[in-house]
Amino acid sequence: MMLPDTLFANALWFNSLLSLALLWPLLLAVNVTWRHVTAGDQGVPQYLDGWWLSAPWPALGLVLLGNGQWILDGWILGGQWELTALSRAWLMFTALLWALAALHARGYFAHEQAKATAGDAAARRRLLRLAVLWPLTLAGNILLIVAQDIASFYLGFSLMTFAAYALVIHDESERAVMGAHVYLIMAVLGEGMILGGFLWVAGEAQVLTLDGLREGIAQAPHGVAMAALLWGGFGIKAGVIGLHVWLPLAHPAAPAPASAVLSGAMIKAGLLGWLNVLPLGNPLLSEGFLHLGQLIMVAGLLAAFGAAIYGVMQRHPKAVLAYSSISQMGMMTALVATGLTAPDNWHLVWPALVLFVAHHALAKGALFMGTSISEHLPAWPLMLMWALLALPGLSLVGTLGAGMASKWGFKSALYDNEQTTLIWLLSLAAIGTAALVSVALWRQWQQRQVGKGNGWQLYAWLATLGLALMTPVWLPLPSESMPFPPFAEWPGLVWPLPLGVVAAGLMLTLWRPKPCVVPAGDLWWLYAALGRAGANVYGAMAQRLYITKAAIVKRALAMETLLMQRLEQLLATDAWMRHHASGLMMALAVGLVALLAWESILS
Amino acid sequence: MNAAWLPPLALSTSLVAAVVIFALPESAWRWRTGVNLGAALVKLTLVVLLGYRVVEGHYDTLRFPVVEGIDFVLRADALGMMFAGLSSLLWLCTTLYAIGYLENSPNRKRFFGFFSLCVGSTLGIAMAGNLFTFLIFFEMLTLSTYPLVVHRGTPKALDAGRVYLRYTLSGGTVLLLGVVLLYSLTSEHSFASEGGLETFLPDHRGLLLLIFALLVGGLAVKAAMVPLHGWLPRAMVAPAPVSALLHAVAVVKAGAFGILRVVYDVFGIELSVELGVTTVLAVAATVTILYGSLRALAQEELKPRLAFSTISQVSYIVLGVSLFGPFGTIAALTHLLHQGLMKVTLFFCAGNYAEELGIHRIDELDGAGRRMPLTSLAFTVGALGMIGLPPVAGFITKWYLGMGAIQAGMPWVIAVLVAVSMLNALYFLPILYRLWFRLGPAHGHGAWPEERRLGRLETSAWLLWPMVATALLSLGAGLFAAMPFSPLGWATAVALGEYLP
Repeated sequence: MMLPDTLFANALWFNSLLSLALLWPLLLAVNVTWRHVTAGDQGVPQYLDGWWLSAPWPALGLVLLGNGQWILDGWILGGQWELTALSRAWLMFTALLWALAALHARGYFAHEQAKATAGDAAARRRLLRLAVLWPLTLAGNILLIVAQDIASFYLGFSLMTFAAYALVIHDESERAVMGAHVYLIMAVLGEGMILGGFLWVAGEAQVLTLDGLREGIAQAPHGVAMAALLWGGFGIKAGVIGLHVWLPLAHPAAPAPASAVLSGAMIKAGLLGWLNVLPLGNPLLSEGFLHLGQLIMVAGLLAAFGAAIYGVMQRHPKAVLAYSSISQMGMMTALVATGLTAPDNWHLVWPALVLFVAHHALAKGALFMGTSISEHLPAWPLMLMWALLALPGLSLVGTLGAGMASKWGFKSALYDNEQTTLIWLLSLAAIGTAALVSVALWRQWQQRQVGKGNGWQLYAWLATLGLALMTPVWLPLPSESMPFPPFAEWPGLVWPLPLGVVAAGLMLTLWRPKPCVVPAGDLWWLYAALGRAGANVYGAMAQRLYITKAAIVKRALAMETLLMQRLEQLLATDAWMRHHASGLMMALAVGLVALLAWESILS
Repeated sequence: MNAAWLPPLALSTSLVAAVVIFALPESAWRWRTGVNLGAALVKLTLVVLLGYRVVEGHYDTLRFPVVEGIDFVLRADALGMMFAGLSSLLWLCTTLYAIGYLENSPNRKRFFGFFSLCVGSTLGIAMAGNLFTFLIFFEMLTLSTYPLVVHRGTPKALDAGRVYLRYTLSGGTVLLLGVVLLYSLTSEHSFASEGGLETFLPDHRGLLLLIFALLVGGLAVKAAMVPLHGWLPRAMVAPAPVSALLHAVAVVKAGAFGILRVVYDVFGIELSVELGVTTVLAVAATVTILYGSLRALAQEELKPRLAFSTISQVSYIVLGVSLFGPFGTIAALTHLLHQGLMKVTLFFCAGNYAEELGIHRIDELDGAGRRMPLTSLAFTVGALGMIGLPPVAGFITKWYLGMGAIQAGMPWVIAVLVAVSMLNALYFLPILYRLWFRLGPAHGHGAWPEERRLGRLETSAWLLWPMVATALLSLGAGLFAAMPFSPLGWATAVALGEYLP
């Protein structure tokens, strides 16, 4: 651990910096809008200027400041914002990745900025939208990390989710619109499940904080069902198998820096959601949670292997990388599951998991940024470039740098609990990682282009790469939880690499399925077909109901007409009576007289 | 200390304004505007004063007998003041908006006269101290709204007005029947009878059920509960400020408020649970919520979509009432205010699109965010609130409804809430997508149906600022819900202080 727990114990410092960390991105969004408006109808300001780049910096400053807590009484349902050991490390890598991706974006969008300045209205519009919604997404991401109360967390999560729509749809191509819509549909589904889970647990346990939520789930009679619901809801973001379909469609469509934060920071928010709501490491769990844990583990491992197998068949390098993200998230899912299946060991597993997550965030960020580098190769030696492009992948497989430490970290944590089968399976999954990374590089090589690069783009990528390899150095976790493997263990960590490369090579030479056989987004097409069929059935039903209703209305109207006719007939009788009033009166009078006479005769 | 003059004074502001406006000539624009705004401000001040006195513990009451045994009672209590506060605040906004909206159109005198009467009746409903007074103002509201609905005078408007009258007058009759039956049973017509209605439970269970059905059935017409909602979508032909008033403040809310009064004050929540009517109410509200959302989905025009959304949203209040327990009650009371703020914003936006650009259909909204950014932002806030996303006010309601559902032992309500949130997303997000992401006339594709340049900004200032204010209030009511005088804080105080055992 490089950073002390607290630099200043002063709550005022903490609170001000925390509010700045959240407000600064919002202010910058306003600032961009203001500069756009004041530039006039045709004016084009530099959208991604120096100020804009600084959006995540206060959050980084907050991490340096250390742990702390801020209770806000008047905020939504009562706010509780906190930096704990977990959320501090999480904020560190998230803010760092956002900062680097912003620098990269400055270069990536330089071309678009030039087009806008030259008078391209479409480029101007897209840049404005990106420049406003990027900081909003960031603000949501920061809020969900620091929030320890349910409402703030849900606010941060929704803000991030919905604002990120603009990042995915950015270039407005058909593919981007499609990817963004899939993203949004899945996100709404996820939001619904999360809302349902939150309401259910919070209602049962009468709590407002995430702490209370975890306790509530552990004790509630339907705790397992609640946990499963929330697991599914966050699983959409985290790319659980079956719910992952948006990732391979949204990632290739988004611009490289957006893909980087999407894959590096935002899908991790789903994982953080699990850590926040699932009763991981709670020793007093019922039998049901053990089964849920086993289910989660199976789902994680399925994703780890399935995504690898499917991913190597993809053509687009970013689609390959998206499947690699699903595969990696599967491995993390399996590690999360150990918090339910082996709760005693959780205190060892979670720091290893955080290291894994942080390293993956930066490394995947570097890989996604790398896809834009290979499209604009600088005039550096080709060998050097490809070595650099391969580096984060090698680290992810666990053969060098932080990746090695991360892999060794969770391996040794699991060894302590003798979960040898899981260790073995995760090592096998690393073969998949190696294969995926090789295929991604191969696809990048096939689609490489030289020139038109930009310094921002290049150096931000290099910085991300460097920081990814050094993750344990800057990640604020206790250093004893991030040991570097002893030399004797290296072969045990490195062996999946050659196997993976060979597997990828075999795959690429022996079997090349057409893209239509293995479309990106796999199960989505099935879901879409089912959804369409469902909509048709609903439409037919609605149509039939409409016809029924029309028939009823018609009959009611007919009845009304009939009634009115009867009424009119009655009124007509009245008119007849009025017409013959004098005669009738006379008849009545005569009758009465007759009656009287009859009576008098009788008496 | 009872300041008996305060409630009638608050009430008279709108009534006097109505009389003055009718007396002024059509062309006296400045005078009319002055009277309108002056009355709205005075009334808001008086209502705030009344509310403050209620907090202090003074329930100002005016009471005089009309005939032997029947009193006319105006009384300021916490629940009434909540509704009165909402209607006065939104009346101010709506008046400002209406002044801009009807600029240079004919028959403004008639419009503003009845407009004032309508809001006066709403205040009367809020302050009615017994069922008799309530009934008077309830009918007065029906009659004073009719000229507003048919304001345009087109055949379609007249038709809608006829349907409106048929529905609401029949509803009023049913309500009257219920009141008379109740009176014959208890020989009392106040909201909270001395001994409560529990004493009648052993012998008159069936009669109590009938009375409840009649009272709530009559009110449900105004609250637009399925299947008594038919008038509301038709009444959309009215000008936008009227729709805003109808949906957010006056008519629909008067129905929902009446149901609150019946359940909490006339019967009492415990007796209602005992009678088993709350479950029926919950099911009826659920049906309305889902039906309204499904129908909203199928609408192609903006205002009808909002109308069906209102049908769905107002029943949240009824749903909250039917969930026995503090959280359900808080949800119902809070949503009374929240729905008003959000819906009025949405209708202001719809009106702005129609006035400035001539937009009525949803597919004409493409790219309107660029042409009218503030209006579109306000619409976005309102729509997200309707979906129930934080930090807009709608989230708070949804949260408390969920809590209330668990508390009342009806966890299935949560599934309904989630489903309806998704449906709301399904019919509001496409609109937002069109506003912000589609290319339209503002980007040089095609032309607006009927563009006018009403002001220096995106539209006339009269139309713009009331909408911005209500949007900010919707946002603030959610962001600072835990503050003591937020709608949630007020609702919590009312629920815990008055209605719960």
